[in-house]
Amino acid sequence: MSFDPHPLLIWFQKLPNGGYLLGAIPVWFIIAGGLALLVLSVSAVSVFVTHRGAGGKLFLRELSGCISDVLSLSPRRIGALAKLTFLEAYRRKALAVFVVFALLFMFAGWFMGDSKEITNDQVKVYISFVLRAISWLVLPVVLVLSCFGIPEDIRLRSLHTVVTKPARRLEIVLGRVIGFSLIGTVVLLVMSSVGYIWIVRQIPKTAKDQGLLSCRVPVYGSLTFLDRAGTPADKGINTGDLWEFRSYIEGATAARAIWTFKNMDASALDSEGNLHLENQFTAFRSYKGDMKRQLLFDFKFINPEKPIAPNQPLTFTTDARQVNEFRGVTDKINRKLGREGDEKTYDLIDDFVMKDGSLIVEVSCIDREQYLGMARPDLFVRRPDQPFYIGYAKAVLGIELLLILVTIMSVTASTFLKGPIAAVLTSCLLMLGGEDSHNFMDELVFGKFKGGGFLESIYRIITHMNPTTDLPDNPAFVGMRFFDAGLTNFLWLCKQVIPRLQYFNMSDYVSNGFDVPWDASVVPSILVTLGYLVPCVLLGYFALRIRELESK
Amino acid sequence: MSQPGQSNESVIEVRNLTKVYRDFWGRPKVRALNALSLDIKKGEVFGLLGPNGSGKTTTLKLLLGLLFPTEGDITILGKPAADVSKNERIGYLPEESYLYRFLNAHETLDFYGRLFKMPASVRKERAEKLLDMVKLAPQARRRQLKEYSKGMTRRIGVAQALINDPDLVMLDEPTSGLDPLGNRDMKDLILDLKKQGKTVLMCSHLLADVQDVCDRIAILYGGELKVMGRVDELLKAQDETQILSSKLSPEAIRDIEAVIKKHGANVLKVDQPTANLEDLFLKTVQESRERPGHRLVQEGKSGA
Ligand SMILES: Nc1ncnc2c1ncn2[C@@H]1O[C@H](COP(=O)(O)OP(=O)(O)O)[C@@H](O)[C@H]1O
Ligand SMILES: [Mg+2]
Repeated sequence: MSFDPHPLLIWFQKLPNGGYLLGAIPVWFIIAGGLALLVLSVSAVSVFVTHRGAGGKLFLRELSGCISDVLSLSPRRIGALAKLTFLEAYRRKALAVFVVFALLFMFAGWFMGDSKEITNDQVKVYISFVLRAISWLVLPVVLVLSCFGIPEDIRLRSLHTVVTKPARRLEIVLGRVIGFSLIGTVVLLVMSSVGYIWIVRQIPKTAKDQGLLSCRVPVYGSLTFLDRAGTPADKGINTGDLWEFRSYIEGATAARAIWTFKNMDASALDSEGNLHLENQFTAFRSYKGDMKRQLLFDFKFINPEKPIAPNQPLTFTTDARQVNEFRGVTDKINRKLGREGDEKTYDLIDDFVMKDGSLIVEVSCIDREQYLGMARPDLFVRRPDQPFYIGYAKAVLGIELLLILVTIMSVTASTFLKGPIAAVLTSCLLMLGGEDSHNFMDELVFGKFKGGGFLESIYRIITHMNPTTDLPDNPAFVGMRFFDAGLTNFLWLCKQVIPRLQYFNMSDYVSNGFDVPWDASVVPSILVTLGYLVPCVLLGYFALRIRELESK
Repeated sequence: MSQPGQSNESVIEVRNLTKVYRDFWGRPKVRALNALSLDIKKGEVFGLLGPNGSGKTTTLKLLLGLLFPTEGDITILGKPAADVSKNERIGYLPEESYLYRFLNAHETLDFYGRLFKMPASVRKERAEKLLDMVKLAPQARRRQLKEYSKGMTRRIGVAQALINDPDLVMLDEPTSGLDPLGNRDMKDLILDLKKQGKTVLMCSHLLADVQDVCDRIAILYGGELKVMGRVDELLKAQDETQILSSKLSPEAIRDIEAVIKKHGANVLKVDQPTANLEDLFLKTVQESRERPGHRLVQEGKSGA
């Protein structure tokens, strides 16, 4: 399967999961506020149960104590605790992980053959090997360290000496989070620098000469179609492929694929004034035709804002060019548009970019009764490339953010669980955070499965009832439905609490030679990390505060 | 005994303090402390005595807010026990010095110092002064605490407790793990703290520890307060008289016994006084210090 980068995102556009990035912020407030209310009311009730009359006073005292702890946070104390955490990990030889890292790289060459022909794939393998090795080494180390930090501190009672100083328990949680993140960051920085040098040196010279170690900055457009009669359509023709990703336009008919690129201006051109249009169309031949050449297509720029006659927009059609099926090709189109024998010339930017900055590009297939397949990411404007290290650094930033998230979750879990259990819990949450499991949870929560909820499906299985048969309308079944709905809502809450980790994986972009987009990956992962920081740290603080620091 | 610097102001007020340890399911397990009421005045050295498991450590932890009371009220330095800001003026030496074993002495004191509002220069100066005061050998100060002996750990523990120049010092078994010499140092240190006008609350299961330094003591047994009062009064055996003389012949002893009987009293014990082992050890060390290299030999064996 070809690489499908996330759709272009701007703040109001849809996320892959069907939500909105800005829309996520109110949801965050609802979830975080709801959880806070839940915790507060549970503790209020338990205080009244255990202390009866004095409960109210006690609850208010604790609440004001919490607020004053938050207000009296001291960067100096947090710094001291973070430094302690760092030193602890360092002196306990956490850096031994470098040995594993070194071994891995010493022998990596054995397993990754040096195939000259498919340098493209080789570059991909090298990059993803390095980034994957780094995250698989750093993340478990950080997870284990952070899960065991506070429980060990409690078991050895060294925490007693700290909490009898003016250190707030909130500061202890924060100091731990910062300290473990720091040690992880140091490990990550060293490893990724080594990894970078390794990639640059290991990759064959031929690949470098071909510019394969690149960091392409794509501008994706939106895609619509015209069918063979020339009427607008959402999709082209399905040639029978089960995978509906691409749809097809028929050659030498009125069928077109029309991309609209936004935010275009002269900065999208290279230094010689060329627009780079990179495409990776597929060909579907309904007959063999001329096998000596690939199918032909052309680009047509259209500007409806500058009609040359009523209802006839300004257009310019390029020369025909060949499809290259297996590897993306870049067509360079100079901004001075003109044809031999025709003295009329246009300027691509001045004449075809519309007032709102959009550029319309129409693709048509030239060969009769042949088909050209395409999907939205198959044609993009390739802005001037970034140096490779920019994309690499962003991928490392992705690992760094994940590392911080792992630390936050582990430290929080370790405030109320013992080390091993906290480690299991955090690992489970991370595993559930994958894209597939989120999609599965989405389907569960939004009722996309037939056969009803928990009880209903059990009932149907036991009674061999067809999922399409309606249930009888008596109170027992209404109650069952009600229970199932409650369970589903609870599941929805659980789903919201499990982090969505797909944004953090930026290595796919880089190994496929793309820059990591800020809007589709970097910003969401920063937001997710921040979104977990505040509630988790508060939860950890609360858990440390209400417990006696005796190991049980 | 006169009480310099002691006032009527209460530093610690405990009313009806009860602690029941519960198991994981919240079922009561141990009643470690039962209805304890105490008042500790500013400037006094107060000793909490009792055998192992009598609830001394539990009391200290409750006072510090490490444990939450099952019942009762605590006011410490005018604040509730759960208030962290009270810790600015408290120094605490736990039962075993629960310190970070991967730090060295300097790092330890610097770390704890940074938890208080202390500028770096003051921290450094104070750390140096405290390490001298607890007599930690200079060559040991750069070694990690995991290489320390029990006594050395105890010393750095004390230094840690005093890093913020506290008004109230709580010491849990301060002499445990110390040799008699260290024991003496510790007692001197406590007396020194008292001289500076600080309030000291210490607990111990060794009467000898307490009698030299404490103004007042409370004896706990099974979580209940049994005795409380001034040490000199408590230690005075009211119904015995001790007579010490140079060595007497058996006839002389018989005569004295007759005199005692005549006055209607009983002779309880007649023997030669033996030196307190602690005294002997101290004397020996003192002598070896004054005359290094001199080997002390017991008198009886020197001729053989
Ligand atoms: N964390 C705990 N959980 C359950 N019981 C405890 C705990 N700590 C102490 N105890 C019990 O409480 C009693 C008092 O203990 P402690 O205060 O440590 O005594 P002391 O310091 O006087 O030797 C003992 O019976 C002890 O077993
Ligand atoms: Mg004890």
